Amino acid sequence: MGKPNDLVQGMLDLLILKTISLEPKHGWAIAKRIQQISNEVLQVQQGSLYPALHRLEQKAWIKAKWAETETGRKAKFYSLTAAGRAQLEKEAANWSRLSGAINLVVESA
Amino acid sequence: MDWARQLWMRLQTLFRRDHLTQDLDDEVRFHLDEQIAENIAAGMNKEEARHTALRIFGNPSLLKEDVREAWGWVWLEQIGQDLRYGFRSLRKNLLFTVVAVLTLAFGIGANTAIFSLMDQVLLQLLPVKHPEQLVLVAERGIRFGDSWGDNDVSYPMYRDFRDHNQVFSGMFCRFPTSINLGYGDRTERVSAELVSGSYFSVLGVTAIIGRTLTPDDDRVPGGHPVAILSYSFWESRFSSDPSIVGKQIVTNGYTFTVIGVAQAGFDGVELGYKSKVFVPMMMKAQMTPRSGGLEDRSLSWVTAYGRLKPGISIARANASLQPLMHSILEVEVQEPRLQHYSTYDRAQFLKNTVELLPGSQGWSGLRERMQTPLWVLAALSGAVLLLACANLANLLLARATTREREMAVRLAIGAGRRRIIRLLLVESLLLSVIGTVVGLGLAFLADRVLLATYFSADSAGDFPISSVPDVRVLVFALGTTLLTALVFGLAPAIQSSRADVAPALNDRAGSAVGAKQVFLRKLLVSGQMALALLLLVGASLFLRTLANLESTGPGFSTERLVTFRVDPSLNGYGDERTKDIFRRLAEDLQTLPAVSSVGLSTMPFLQGNGWSNPVIAEGYVTDPGQEPPAIVNEISPNLFKTLDAPILAGRDIAPFETRPVALINESFARKYFAGRNPIGLHIGLVNEQSTAQDVPNLEVVGVVKDLKFKNLRDPAPVEAYYPYWQGVKFRFMTFYLRTRFDPRQVMETVREQVRQLDPNLPVVDLRTIDEQIGLSLKTERLVASLSAVFGALATALAVIGLYGVMAYTVARRRREIGIRVALGALQSDVLWMVMQQVVVLSGAGLAVGGLLAFALSSLIRSQLYGLQPHDPLTYVWAAVVLAAAACAAGFIPSWRASHVDPMHALRHE
Repeated sequence: MGKPNDLVQGMLDLLILKTISLEPKHGWAIAKRIQQISNEVLQVQQGSLYPALHRLEQKAWIKAKWAETETGRKAKFYSLTAAGRAQLEKEAANWSRLSGAINLVVESA
Repeated sequence: MDWARQLWMRLQTLFRRDHLTQDLDDEVRFHLDEQIAENIAAGMNKEEARHTALRIFGNPSLLKEDVREAWGWVWLEQIGQDLRYGFRSLRKNLLFTVVAVLTLAFGIGANTAIFSLMDQVLLQLLPVKHPEQLVLVAERGIRFGDSWGDNDVSYPMYRDFRDHNQVFSGMFCRFPTSINLGYGDRTERVSAELVSGSYFSVLGVTAIIGRTLTPDDDRVPGGHPVAILSYSFWESRFSSDPSIVGKQIVTNGYTFTVIGVAQAGFDGVELGYKSKVFVPMMMKAQMTPRSGGLEDRSLSWVTAYGRLKPGISIARANASLQPLMHSILEVEVQEPRLQHYSTYDRAQFLKNTVELLPGSQGWSGLRERMQTPLWVLAALSGAVLLLACANLANLLLARATTREREMAVRLAIGAGRRRIIRLLLVESLLLSVIGTVVGLGLAFLADRVLLATYFSADSAGDFPISSVPDVRVLVFALGTTLLTALVFGLAPAIQSSRADVAPALNDRAGSAVGAKQVFLRKLLVSGQMALALLLLVGASLFLRTLANLESTGPGFSTERLVTFRVDPSLNGYGDERTKDIFRRLAEDLQTLPAVSSVGLSTMPFLQGNGWSNPVIAEGYVTDPGQEPPAIVNEISPNLFKTLDAPILAGRDIAPFETRPVALINESFARKYFAGRNPIGLHIGLVNEQSTAQDVPNLEVVGVVKDLKFKNLRDPAPVEAYYPYWQGVKFRFMTFYLRTRFDPRQVMETVREQVRQLDPNLPVVDLRTIDEQIGLSLKTERLVASLSAVFGALATALAVIGLYGVMAYTVARRRREIGIRVALGALQSDVLWMVMQQVVVLSGAGLAVGGLLAFALSSLIRSQLYGLQPHDPLTYVWAAVVLAAAACAAGFIPSWRASHVDPMHALRHE
């Protein structure tokens, strides 16, 4: 436990932004979604997820709203703001550039 | 939009923190519930599902901490916590808090009270435009003729400067004088100011209604009967009547028209003299009957101010004015009045210079008088603050020791050193702030008391000093507070944060840190003792000065002696009528059964002023120019009988005798008639018409006892008296009455008597001589009483400090003492062992303090009377008092130590 974790902060931000880019999701769903899509490779610690969510909200990249889930329970749903969408595009582009570069180095060696 | 949303979020996290926290709880709970639900779906039972969910989730408190950090404002939250905690721990140690707060309150209160007075008396600038450009124009060198003050010049000289200088954007002059003012059916005496037409415009003071004076209101002597009222006078005397402009008032019997009211807060340019009415200079003859002066170059009476042109320094202006000054002197030296002086004297006269003094505060005799005493008091109160700070540091150090364990626990569970230092600093800051608030309250009360006892009598509440602290005073207090908190909170705080966790937790008290700390505390206590001795020595020097002044007395009996003054010339009465009033009033008062004797003298005793005049004496060769003038006074018969001062040789003057006669005092006889019998010999007064060939014309008929004249401090001057009716001008007179019983009961009768004689004649300064002496000793009394209070405070603080350290030492050595007793030490041995420390501590302090006082006390030599700054008795007295107090304070812990029960002490470990 604790702050340092498998995911670097910038990456976690990118994952969160990407995950909620299609539709608003609550924290639990975000964590689940990241886990599923990554074939259980990426495990998001709650101790990192929620501080990250609140930090992104402070930066006004995402906004939160209480709404009902399909099961009829109240949950806090996060969705992208316009600024968040722009940020997502920037970070995604950044990431593919970076991962492509790393791939090149790793595979050619 | 982005920044708006961000700002909105920031505000939310600041002001809706509780709501957000609730929100976060809900969010976390939802997450857990989902996890539990999933676990149950995976086949766990309820209990198992919950456990697993919690384990996966991790530490919710930590998560919440991290989220809060994401919200920002954590520092604010922590300070809030520190404050809350600080309050709680101060409340828990109420005794500590009360002692610390009072210590600080006294230190800060004393300083703020004195600073508040200093600020207003010494630092405040005039409430006018660009006061820093104002300078006072004074003449330096030999001056022939009469002068009202060292910095005054003659009106023609002012005019010359005004018309021919190149350095001032404007000049004005002023002269303070009292007038009789009638409005409606009431006549009263008020303080007024004769001012040049340029006064208001150069100062930049405007009228709130009507208009101010212009140079056109000040052209023809006697031709401008107009007056400006001060705002406060308009408010109090005319109830802020807006229709006052154009109305008429009667001043000194002349009808004047009010043309305006000056802006609020402006009461003239002299601190301690609140001008209520401003009248054009050209009305001088009407305001001060029979002392002309508008064209008289031999009479220096106006204070001349100039406003420097922008960019011109005082030094440059000074240099540029010298040639102008010289050309003025060239004209003056040709005047007939200077022709009988020697060529040498006239050459010296031509060397006179002009001096520019900073005028941003105006000029004030009050300020000149109060300057040194206020600085002395400021130094004393500063020492009290230092003592208070040492006490506080001592208290905080002691407290740091008792909290060693608490701090160790904090460090052990992960608090950072910075956080601990901050917590302790917040605590001492809290103490300081509370201390300051209490201190400000004390200062306000103290200033009120001081003003009431010290200043009120000056001009019946007209004093421009208030006890309400202004912004500068508050800034001063706040600065003092922050400094105290930092300086005296930091050391203990840093020390605490260094606490060695293991030994502290193991309760091994008395570690090396403790020993070092004890040494520091002992040093502080010795320092306190030294400062306290310094203050006690100062206090007793000042108290004895006051006592000396009071007991030396003026040389005559003050019992049942009443005095008052009248000034019929202000009513425009001529010489004959004025002289007649003096004579009839003296006769009427003499007939009162309550009055045993009446005496008159033109210049009053013990009021700080007097006429000095060069004299010549038969058979005494005068060295012209080198001879200091004697004091002369005009008197009536029976004055010395009334004062109960014997005529030692010869006789008193006879009522209305026409032969030119004089009385001289012992000093006069010793100086001018050494070894000769002065009776029947002659003296003469030198005046402008005198020539070197003059023969002394006043026959000495009697010698009287030496009496103090200007004040109690100065020895009796060389003085001569002659009959008042033989004088040339009749303006005002001081009456002295010896009453048969309580003088208070006679006063109303006196007033009534004057009213019967002339209802328009105000009685001025009616009081007993004792009261008047009291007034003349105001400054001494202020300094003495305050330094006594400071000395007492200092002693109390030092003694508290000593007690604290000794009590702490004894507590630390309990075990050791227990062993000593168990091994056979007697109670008296233990008592002496502890008392020895008390003696060493206070002895060291007293020695240092004695040296300090010895070195510093010569600085106040000029303030003392009748004793030397190194007066041994004072030092011994102060040291004995302090040592006794210290021993008393040290005895309590010593006695407690000697009664330690060894069984109990040893088992306690």
